[in-house]
Amino acid sequence: MDNILEVKDLELHYFTQKGVVKAVDRLSFHLKKGETLGVVGESGCGKTTMATALLKMPTPPGRIVGGQILLDGDDIMPLSENEIRRRVRWERISMVFQGAMNCLTPVYTIEKQMRETLQQHRQMDKAETAERMLKYLNLVGLSEDVLKRYPHELSGGMKQRVVIATGLFLEPKVVICDEPTTALDVVVQAEIINLLKSLKEELGLSFIFITHDLSIEAEVSDRIMVMYAGRAVEIGTNEQIYGPQGSAHPYTQRLLGATPRLHEEVEELSFIPGTPPDLLDPPSGCRFHPRCPVVMERCPHDDVWVREIEPEHMVACWRC
Amino acid sequence: MSEPILRVENLKKWFPVKRSIRQVLSGQRTEVKAVDGVSFDVQKGEIFGLVGESGCGKTTTGKLIMKLLDSTDGKMYMEGEDVTEISGDALAAHRRKVQMIFQDPYASMNPRFKILDVLMEPLVIHKVGETREEQETWAMKALEEVKLTPPDEFLARHPHMLSGGQRQRAATARTLMLSPSIIVADEPVSMIDLSTRAEILHMMRQVQRELGLTYVYITHDLSTARYFTDRIAVMYLGRIVEMGVAGDVIDNTLHPYSKALIEAVCEPVSGKVNRIKEVPIKGEIPAATNIPPGCRFHPRCVYAVPECSEQAEPELFDAGNGHMVACRRYQEILEKGDAAKTSEAEF
Amino acid sequence: MKRKETSQLRAFWNEFRRVRFGIVGLVLFAVFVLIVAFEPLLMPYRDANERWRDMTYWLDSPRNALPVWVNWFSAKDYAVAEKLEATSVTESQVGTLRMMTMEFDYDFDYERPPTDFQLVMTLTGNASLQMEVIRPDGESLNYQRSTSSSGTRELRISIAQNLQDKVFRLASPFADPDVIASENPETIDAVATMFAVAGPSMLRNTSPLQGTYTCRLTVALTGEDSQLDSAHVIIAGGVAGWMGTDASKRDIWSGLIAGTKWALLIGLLTSFVSVAVGVVYGVVAGYFGGWIDSAMNRVFEIFLSMPLLPILIVMSAVFKPSIWTMIIMMCLFFWVGPVKTVRSMALQIKENTYIEAAKALGASHRRIVFKHLLPQLVPYAFATMALSVPSAIVYEASISLIGLGDATVVTWGQILQDAYASGAVLQGTWWWVVPPGIAIALMGMTFAFIGFAMDTILNPKLRTR
Repeated sequence: MDNILEVKDLELHYFTQKGVVKAVDRLSFHLKKGETLGVVGESGCGKTTMATALLKMPTPPGRIVGGQILLDGDDIMPLSENEIRRRVRWERISMVFQGAMNCLTPVYTIEKQMRETLQQHRQMDKAETAERMLKYLNLVGLSEDVLKRYPHELSGGMKQRVVIATGLFLEPKVVICDEPTTALDVVVQAEIINLLKSLKEELGLSFIFITHDLSIEAEVSDRIMVMYAGRAVEIGTNEQIYGPQGSAHPYTQRLLGATPRLHEEVEELSFIPGTPPDLLDPPSGCRFHPRCPVVMERCPHDDVWVREIEPEHMVACWRC
Repeated sequence: MSEPILRVENLKKWFPVKRSIRQVLSGQRTEVKAVDGVSFDVQKGEIFGLVGESGCGKTTTGKLIMKLLDSTDGKMYMEGEDVTEISGDALAAHRRKVQMIFQDPYASMNPRFKILDVLMEPLVIHKVGETREEQETWAMKALEEVKLTPPDEFLARHPHMLSGGQRQRAATARTLMLSPSIIVADEPVSMIDLSTRAEILHMMRQVQRELGLTYVYITHDLSTARYFTDRIAVMYLGRIVEMGVAGDVIDNTLHPYSKALIEAVCEPVSGKVNRIKEVPIKGEIPAATNIPPGCRFHPRCVYAVPECSEQAEPELFDAGNGHMVACRRYQEILEKGDAAKTSEAEF
Repeated sequence: MKRKETSQLRAFWNEFRRVRFGIVGLVLFAVFVLIVAFEPLLMPYRDANERWRDMTYWLDSPRNALPVWVNWFSAKDYAVAEKLEATSVTESQVGTLRMMTMEFDYDFDYERPPTDFQLVMTLTGNASLQMEVIRPDGESLNYQRSTSSSGTRELRISIAQNLQDKVFRLASPFADPDVIASENPETIDAVATMFAVAGPSMLRNTSPLQGTYTCRLTVALTGEDSQLDSAHVIIAGGVAGWMGTDASKRDIWSGLIAGTKWALLIGLLTSFVSVAVGVVYGVVAGYFGGWIDSAMNRVFEIFLSMPLLPILIVMSAVFKPSIWTMIIMMCLFFWVGPVKTVRSMALQIKENTYIEAAKALGASHRRIVFKHLLPQLVPYAFATMALSVPSAIVYEASISLIGLGDATVVTWGQILQDAYASGAVLQGTWWWVVPPGIAIALMGMTFAFIGFAMDTILNPKLRTR
């Protein structure tokens, strides 16, 4: 199968007054055509930072310091900002940002905001833009009159759909969704998840779905990458991570153990003592070792990277 | 059954909405009926969950219990006494007995205060404690209770120097200072990392057992509610639609709305990736100023029949074993299953 | 608690240091404070404040003299104002007469003559005196006079005012006859002529005669109690003092120094009181909301729409204008400044969850306002205080400019007012107008800088970090 996106040894550092924060540390993964790759991790693990890196727009004082990003075979790292803006961002890869629905400008109509984005990228006349906007609004399940409304007149779910439509209407191949359902109610959340699934089918898209919620990942992602402290600790298929035989990395296992189940009587949820590390001065060797329940001798000393333990299943752990 | 520690009867909270001149003249009143007739009992020592989506009135109910808001109608009894309309000393006594843990652990503490000041505040307000040393000792004990040790180190810090989990522990410690009977916890772990959540919940349960406390646990997360609570009440648009033992309500759901919620929740199991979820619900939540007639869920219910909108709103009745449901057709739905559906889900 | 405060102060100080404005402001402020502290040492005329309007205090000064440092820049030096002591004193007895002779030497090596040459003496009893002024070229002026009185009195003989005739006569042999014909003793500049080279231009377009001038005073005293207590020669120079003198002969430098404390007082007191009141008012209005807020807003709007200057004028006309009345009036009107902003801030802060948590604990309104709300507003309050100091000072100056200031003290505004009333600008006495203006501007700058620096640090929205 073709890889529509390949990331090799991506490194993004934040150059702060206090020092260098290695927010993304030699990250490597790939996204196959037509699949949803889930990126899961807790706060500070680097998932959102990684997403900004994929669009080559790191938040200052961040800078991409190394690695390759191959989009459909083309390395976008050496491209200039101008080229990225004109040909890559939103055209080939777009993003639905976290809390984007709250970032719709309150003083402009939906139409104006969508049109503005569209016209930034394409020379289209009025009729064409109208047609395009309508097509995608319909695709996300909204009707035409949404165009004339202001953001505050729409519900949370509708706003999120607008944002998704904006991310799609330039017809990119890859869409990154960062916590698209976090602020939404459970029922609306299910709607949006269904929407994303159907869009994937209809438009032949590939998604990167970022969230901290393991339950949502299970129902959305074909493959999952678990991140911790800026590194990937496990990458596997949905079955390998969530299936009955359980995941491989101690962190993933504990995370799953910490997730409550709706239809099961769980006696005691597991937790991981301590907090995610400060990336100004991360732990040596395996970054998870201070909190790992099965830590070994060599863990604090040797850096560990994802290695294949079975087809499609990669783990960064000395135990495996 | 012994006397419940908290009893709420037909509690209502309606917020007036600004009216235009025309509306004032025509005598129209618009109110946001945030809580519209809620009744339940909470037994001493239990963890009672209030569950529902945003806007269902669970947080408002919590504030009514705290008496941060005055109820528009209905009655509330605390340890047998009518506390619906109290003031002065009686109100102060009530405040000592009922404490709250807020959702945002950072925002719920004054960033300029040290943790010591945060913990001392309840003591200072209620003039508890003879000497400052005594008060400080209690503060340290409270921190030990919530496992924030060494206590003297944490007392000197400011909230921003603590992690989310630590802050929530400090907030819990604050609630313990006045030796309360009931703690209302409003989404206490939703803003905390997953790997720490269980730790905080574990600590809360331990504290409850050691001190014999009762919790009212407000959340939108059904899975956590199942794990943590003993009994839950599912709320919709200001009323309770189903109530009972947590496992029972979730596994043997009776009310159409609860069913929809349960279907919508995601679970961390494999095999669901390629399925489009089917959630048996229609449309969107109506505004709380415009409650539908009859059963307020009927416009969205896939089992609705004409009686649902024509007859009076159903009250909670006991379906057996303390499992309460506010739906007249629940038996029919249970028996006939999908055949009882009158319309298709569209959501 | 102390540790928190000192560490907060230290953190604040560290930030303050980095903002250059703040340092400049602080330095200027320190200078002003030092001026007030060392006032007596800095003022040549110690009682300038109390006796600003007492003409007798300033008699020995020249009128409208330029500042001394003008001589550093001008090609033609002005004569410096001086007070000469006797270089020799002799006493002798002739029968029942006691004779005292005092000699004064004046070295005139300037290009411009003084504005006056005065012999000032204190006498008791009966005396006849003779005054001689001997020029370097030998010409001399002679004046005689007797006086008798029982008490002690001061006698002042001024070339400019008393000896014009004599000077005219002295110049007649030398000066251009046409000029003599067209002039008379009243129209000539007697002192300039006195100090001019003998020649045709002695009366007009004079050139200075440099050298030592000797003034000899011979006093014959009759009677037991008659005494010559003291005598000086006063040179009313063209330049006098660090900032010159005004039309009433007052030393402007002393006036400025004396006015510093008033400027500081007015500025600091007004701003402190008005901002304190305004902040508490805004917080209470914002916190309570509802009808309390509405009522307070209406009161606030009434005060806001009242024009301060006309009211101050009316008050000054009705009551005796005193600096304290002015300060009170200014406080009564300046408090409205911070109210709107503080009210908005209070509205925002009270939405915070920790306020709700405090209410849930049963905190009283007073506790929430004073313990939770006000501490957050202290930074803004300080910045506003600093920035309203210049306004207060300028207001007082404006009032004084109109002539309604407190006449018992000297403020910078009043110096300006006198200058304006005396037509200083038309006369070209720039040293009267410019220095007080600069002083006001400087003090305004001081507090503006401090205020800006504080604002930059304390206003989170202005922070660049």
